[in-house]
Amino acid sequence: MTEPAEGAPLIEVEGVTKRYGKIVALDDVSIATTDRAVGLLGANGAGKSTLMRSMLGLIRPDAGRIRVMGIDAGRRSWDIRRRLGYMPEHSCLPLGMTARDLVVHMGELRGLPRREAVLRASEVLFQVGLEEERSRLIRTFSVGMRQRTNLAQAIVHSPSLVILDEPTNGLDPAGRDEMLALVRRLSAELGIAVVMSSHVLEDVARTCDSVIVLRDGRVAATQRVDRRTAVERGDVRVRVVGDPDAFAAAARALGLTVRADDGWLHVVGADADAVLRGVRDAAVRSDTGLRELGQAGPTLEETLIGAIG
Amino acid sequence: MSEQARVVDVAFSRYDGPRGGRGGAIWSLAHWSALRALGARRGWKAKVIPIALTLLAFAPALVILGLRALLGTSSLTNQVSKALPIGDYETAIAIVILVFSVVVTPELVCPDRRDRTLSLYFSTAVSRADYVVGKALGALLPMLLVTIAPPLLLWTGDLLFAHHPLGYFQQHSGDVPKVIAAGLLIAGFYGLTGLAISSLTGRRAFAIGGYLAFLIVPTIIGGILAHALNERFLRLLAFAAVPLQASRGLFPGYTDRGNIGPWVWAATAVELMVVAIAVLAIRYGRDEP
Repeated sequence: MTEPAEGAPLIEVEGVTKRYGKIVALDDVSIATTDRAVGLLGANGAGKSTLMRSMLGLIRPDAGRIRVMGIDAGRRSWDIRRRLGYMPEHSCLPLGMTARDLVVHMGELRGLPRREAVLRASEVLFQVGLEEERSRLIRTFSVGMRQRTNLAQAIVHSPSLVILDEPTNGLDPAGRDEMLALVRRLSAELGIAVVMSSHVLEDVARTCDSVIVLRDGRVAATQRVDRRTAVERGDVRVRVVGDPDAFAAAARALGLTVRADDGWLHVVGADADAVLRGVRDAAVRSDTGLRELGQAGPTLEETLIGAIG
Repeated sequence: MSEQARVVDVAFSRYDGPRGGRGGAIWSLAHWSALRALGARRGWKAKVIPIALTLLAFAPALVILGLRALLGTSSLTNQVSKALPIGDYETAIAIVILVFSVVVTPELVCPDRRDRTLSLYFSTAVSRADYVVGKALGALLPMLLVTIAPPLLLWTGDLLFAHHPLGYFQQHSGDVPKVIAAGLLIAGFYGLTGLAISSLTGRRAFAIGGYLAFLIVPTIIGGILAHALNERFLRLLAFAAVPLQASRGLFPGYTDRGNIGPWVWAATAVELMVVAIAVLAIRYGRDEP
């Protein structure tokens, strides 16, 4: 499998519906994304795991079509599973094996020659921070170490895309931080596209380029994630003591965009440095004082809540 | 670290080389399963029983060959070599083969169900059919260690100790395919039936108990009923003896107390193996892992 062409969708989901008896797990879901790190956000039972397993061809949808990196998940599920990585949500590691043996074995199952599987197992166990513990039985691992082993087996065969189902489940705060940093590294540094599910917005916001919110089996919202704060983007709001019109005029004269809104002045500049210097200089030139200065624009959470309605 | 220094991560590389197909995945399953069943890469407790049973399986061959080496050209040599005809070897170590299968086969599938590893396997290129084939091979390989290797060792030793090795080879070369066929039948029977029963539970203890019950209870009931009703075919319920009786028929000097015939035993063995495959297919054939 080759990398998808530039701009080609990483995942295309067209009108997918999946029912379990009377329960509708996925209801006419359609998604097309080119982002290298996509988060599926939703409460338990929202349909995240069903959608992920459908992408791997493990579940056959009742209706609709899924293409992952250009491959039809329904017709060529074997090819997809051999090429993609998958980290299941629940604990499923063979406790009687060492981490190294498991990762070698999983590499072989996904088509790596034995010699290559052994080499790559060492690499990925190093990447997830388990190089010292690679010869220990998984039974003796903590939850965090098991999750890292689970991640290592998912990327040992150098997949173009890895699907992570709730990778921070059961982890303590420190373990969660480490796992999120690892997940971010996959797409940012190691060149592996990521689809990650979570019911925690912060996890998705920290690791993904876009977020798809599922609710009751439907796509409730889709939003790109901008990890920069509004201030870093050069977007602030101020409340001044004195004449706001004079402040606005001075700011505009300095090249900033100013908009009045409910007692606040939204000031937008090229970047954080430009807007903060501009606000300071405009206050001086207009002989006004700054009463409040904060970041403007809704947070990701506010945007998503607004989109979901 | 100076300001100019930077860490360059070279530990993760992309792999764009060739990838194996289904055969490679099945072989990997068989390979790792067989190693696990024999206790490899595990604690010494897991190794003791399989190694001890393997040594016991080889013991008759080693004793006979050792005696022949000690006796040299003595007149007792012929008696020693006739003490255990190669066709009787598996029957002589039947209890070892049986216990070996009881120890090995649950270890192949019970941990996967207990640890919920099946969902991990099925998320790779391994299909349910691949899994069953891989596990069956994984059962067969260690079983061959006690069904084929010991009689082959005895045959090779007899060849080397023979006064005229070439003549011995010409006279007894036909035994080799028979030993292999008999070993495959016995290993296949115990491996498949053991896997089928073990697949019904995630608990190793239950699997061992169930498998022993499968081998022993019908044998007792069949023996009692055959005697009481004077119906010889009820002896076929002696499941533990089925593959041994069938394989014994491949060699000269076959005697069957029930006067049933080797082909009937062989057909019964095949039928039970087909049932075992059907159980495995049903057990692992569901949509959701």
